[in-house]
Amino acid sequence: MILCALCFAHDGLAASLPDVLVVAQSLDDIASLDPAEGFELSSLQAFTNVYQRLVQPHPDDPSTLVPTLASSWTAGPTPHSLVFSLRADAVFASGHPLRPEDVMFSLSRAVKLNRAPVFILNELGWRSENIDGSLHKIDAHRVRIDWSSDVGPAFVLRLLTAPVASIVDEWEVAAHEANGDAGNGWLKNHSAGSGPFKIRRYIAHEALVLDANPSSPQGAPLLKTLIFKNVADAATRRLLVEVGDADIARDLGPDQIAALEGKPDLTTLRFPSATIHYLMFNAANPSNPALANPALWEAARWLIDYQGIALRLLQGEFEVHQSFLADGYPGALPDTPYRLDVDKARAILAGAGLKQGLSITLSVMNQPPFGDIAQSLQSTFAKAGIRLEILPALTSEIYSKVRERSEEAVWLFWVPDYFDANSTASAFASNREDGTKTLAWRAGWHIPALSGETAAAVADQDPVARQRRYLAIQAAVQKSSPFVIALQARSLLVVRADVHGYRQGLDADMAYYDRVRKR
Amino acid sequence: MSALSPATAEDAGDVTRRHGRLRHVLRGVGTVCFTLFGLLLITFGLSRLSPVDPALQLVGDHGSASSYAAMRRTLGLDAPWPVQFERYGVRLLHGDLGVSSSTGERVSDDLRRVFPATLELATLAMGLSTLVGLPLAVLGAWRPRGVLDALVRVVSLAGNSVPIYWLGLLALYLFYAHWRWVAGPGRLDDAFEYTIDMHTNSVLIDSWRSGVPGAFANAVSHLILPVLLLAAYAVGNITRLTRAALLAEAGKEYVTLARAKGATDIRVMLRHIAPNAAGLVVTVLALAYANLLEGAVLIETVFAWPGLGRYLTTALFAADTAAVLGATLLIGVCFVLINGLTDVVVQMLDPRSR
Repeated sequence: MILCALCFAHDGLAASLPDVLVVAQSLDDIASLDPAEGFELSSLQAFTNVYQRLVQPHPDDPSTLVPTLASSWTAGPTPHSLVFSLRADAVFASGHPLRPEDVMFSLSRAVKLNRAPVFILNELGWRSENIDGSLHKIDAHRVRIDWSSDVGPAFVLRLLTAPVASIVDEWEVAAHEANGDAGNGWLKNHSAGSGPFKIRRYIAHEALVLDANPSSPQGAPLLKTLIFKNVADAATRRLLVEVGDADIARDLGPDQIAALEGKPDLTTLRFPSATIHYLMFNAANPSNPALANPALWEAARWLIDYQGIALRLLQGEFEVHQSFLADGYPGALPDTPYRLDVDKARAILAGAGLKQGLSITLSVMNQPPFGDIAQSLQSTFAKAGIRLEILPALTSEIYSKVRERSEEAVWLFWVPDYFDANSTASAFASNREDGTKTLAWRAGWHIPALSGETAAAVADQDPVARQRRYLAIQAAVQKSSPFVIALQARSLLVVRADVHGYRQGLDADMAYYDRVRKR
Repeated sequence: MSALSPATAEDAGDVTRRHGRLRHVLRGVGTVCFTLFGLLLITFGLSRLSPVDPALQLVGDHGSASSYAAMRRTLGLDAPWPVQFERYGVRLLHGDLGVSSSTGERVSDDLRRVFPATLELATLAMGLSTLVGLPLAVLGAWRPRGVLDALVRVVSLAGNSVPIYWLGLLALYLFYAHWRWVAGPGRLDDAFEYTIDMHTNSVLIDSWRSGVPGAFANAVSHLILPVLLLAAYAVGNITRLTRAALLAEAGKEYVTLARAKGATDIRVMLRHIAPNAAGLVVTVLALAYANLLEGAVLIETVFAWPGLGRYLTTALFAADTAAVLGATLLIGVCFVLINGLTDVVVQMLDPRSR
């Protein structure tokens, strides 16, 4: 073996190329690279670098909107319309110029395809049958969009920052249409955008290779090539970045991060993430009436070792956060009134007549860090006489049970779909009992008044008043609800010391590689 | 009654033998078809019993009810199970394995990409483990319960007992990360990987044919660790079972007779024991090869090797029924072919089995 090895001694050609960035991460989640269809973490991050929207959040301050393919916008002829002026010099990676038809085609196509992320555009009242009537070409450089929902322009602009609203090159997509699929088959592994990169090659479960797009309206990126390598095993990702065969390793566990910290040629980057972790009781489950008892919800708030989980168990991968809007979101409630206090929880349970020996099945995903969190909960709940039976399951199985409202309690995480408070508020604090299966509906929480407040908040066009409304809604959910919000995640990356300029925002799609350089 | 002439009787015998062979072949083909049909039916049934919802997997937890319903229709999940299976069967008879929901590609294209990667790894590991395992087994059977035998048993047990996942990470840490003797995970360094055209999807063949300086050596360097580890795993089984087969033969009367006639140990082993144990040894090797073809998931995960094992595992977790059925069918065909070939070889080696 030694002889063999020495004959083919590795000379480390990989990530040492100065204009190539190699990112080791799991790509197994990618189902499609069509922006109207893909809704997985890896595909969303690719869309940010391959496609552009009319407006986008500023990479360093996501609460600020930056005109991107639009040069400006004005109010339309009705309160429910906006007129966008397109950048005159904007071209796609193919060389085709940006036209109002491209905007209309992209938005209409996303709605008509009706794939996973379309619910974001549905919030505007857009459906297959009315979308074409909602998009109008005014002249060669202007396009008007109308919407029927009771929401203001500020909220509409936020929705248009979502990756599903990416603008694709109509001519390029049409050239690859097959069997009336609106180019979906081709766009699953090719690109037709104007972002700083374009897809050179995508090999499912293997690699995504992006080349620089020098003609991008936001300017050419500093790197020539970006290689995302599918490395499913975290320990292997650690070795790759340690050796230098990868420039960035994503999704390493806390123990792997700890082992790499302090190494001179590596840097650990910590970015706040909008991912919120919470415990949910299913009040709609008739087999365990205690789950609908607000006293149980309140006691549970005092039975979580927030600091222990965040700081000791998961070693900085999380921070304590107890409201549904993540820190960094406009209107986020920063209060953390709860801590581990078993005596207080016992008193609440006794006061409500909830006897000792209460047993609850807790469903958790069978992957890190959920098992560790569940064991911590099991230990602290047991001190107050509540027996948690941990039921590990596949992620999809958990979601199926939650949608069917057949679980008792579940530990889940929430990732906002677009950078606006409504994305999360409409899930946690709205149950209109109209067939919309929000998180509040799934928890069996009947809240007509709070649902009205949430609807009023999204329609409110005064930004300050709107933030006040969201603070009040968060306080209500924090005080008494079947949701015990406990943690906010951090995104941890290890990068080689010669890699600079990587930026990452709060939301899942906000990974920016255009300013990355190696020196 | 008229008597048949010898020539006519011979012809009739030929016809009977031909009919017999035809019946044998037809029975074999029928058995293979029935086995593959049963395999598909069971796999399909199990995939439908899986708690993972394929449509939910694609639409996501936040997706709307209308997108979810549309996805169920797209995947054909709105039809009853028997209808879904019938549709799959009809497509299969037309050579269409369907489209993978997790890669968006035709399953046949996916398999053409991932199977050669596994085939290459498994074949090299098989060759190496045969070269090492068979001599070790002979050495162990030479003097049973001696020092050499004890050593062989330790080696074969170690190959089977040490978790291959752990061994893989340890090997990567030592030989790739620490000493830099070999290349790390993946099939080629990034400097080559996306510039070389993969026509056959065998990294050795394609890197050799590319003519790119250093590409072939780099491919070999990437192959060394996974091949060695897979071979170490297979050596355990090959050595243990071959040694047992040799020892079983060594206790038989014809061996005692040969020894009584003054045959040397080498002659006894090579002329008497080995030929009689050959049939069993071939079966052991065939089983080891079949296992390597479908059982290299952990090594493929640790070494980021885009092979059949990882493809099947990822498809299982994504409830990607078309990919699971296609990969299972391919593995089933491999088993059938390997078993069939083994039967032929065993019959050639051992007249008793004809």
